[in-house]
Amino acid sequence: MMVEVVVATSIILISVLASMSVVQKSIVVSRQSLHTTQAAFLLEEGAEAVRINRDNSWTDISNLTNGTSYYPTFSSGSWVLFASPTTIGIFTRTVTIQNVNRNVSTGDIASSGTNDPGTKLVTVNVSWKEGANTITKTLSFYIADIFS
Amino acid sequence: MIKSKLKTNTGYSLLETVFYISFFAIFSILVINTLITMTKSFKENTISTELMQGENIMERISREVRQANSIYSISVNDLKLNTKDTIGTAKTIEFVLSGSDIRLLENNVFTANLNTANISVQGLTFTQITTTKGVAVKMVLTIKSTHDSLNRTQNFYDTVVLRGDY
Repeated sequence: MMVEVVVATSIILISVLASMSVVQKSIVVSRQSLHTTQAAFLLEEGAEAVRINRDNSWTDISNLTNGTSYYPTFSSGSWVLFASPTTIGIFTRTVTIQNVNRNVSTGDIASSGTNDPGTKLVTVNVSWKEGANTITKTLSFYIADIFS
Repeated sequence: MIKSKLKTNTGYSLLETVFYISFFAIFSILVINTLITMTKSFKENTISTELMQGENIMERISREVRQANSIYSISVNDLKLNTKDTIGTAKTIEFVLSGSDIRLLENNVFTANLNTANISVQGLTFTQITTTKGVAVKMVLTIKSTHDSLNRTQNFYDTVVLRGDY
């Protein structure tokens, strides 16, 4: 009789703990999903902030230091890339600029070749803490000096 | 003879009864607690799912802004754009925060609310950004679920350059 009780108890206990685990995980996943959606819009906004800077003046892009993290900040009615860190709620957004090389003969973007001062590689990162983990979403694109 | 004597001694001792009742009590608490937790989790998941509507709302507004040719009028809670329909006919499209709903108007005719009744829009602000080459609109959407007794809000941010304005 004692063995039966222990077996039945164990089955119920495992079932209950499994259910609790699934429920806890579902909350984490649904919150993470919401944050990922918000981060996607922040990434898009970061890219548009760089585009706005390009539209104002290409020097706003070309004067940035390669590899340095800049923080898009809304200031005086427009987006400005500041070096001092800012956060948007739980999110931190950075923009980094890299030089772009082009193949001498084809003119295509290449890992080596001559530097094209009229094109930059932009990387936007949005990161946030999800429990003990830090999640980072990245958007990379090329931006060209089309108005000079 | 021995068998029949053993049969007459079947039943629960006081110790066994106390043991079983204690077990039953502990497991009842455990199961009830699990049910309460699952109910709360279900509600939490429902709220998160409803808040995901913010994605659809922002996506719709962003897409319309991106396709627009110019801004007809803009105020803090009202954005009216000059745009074109699928066959190239000029039209206006307008997003207005009215109470806790976002109203969509096409050619000044009310089309639909962008949010469902489960979502209460707490804020929708538009800011125009003017560059030397074009125009952009900065948007901030704040929503909350009507099922959330804690009244937690979520913000969605986006900025879009009008591609038709270049």
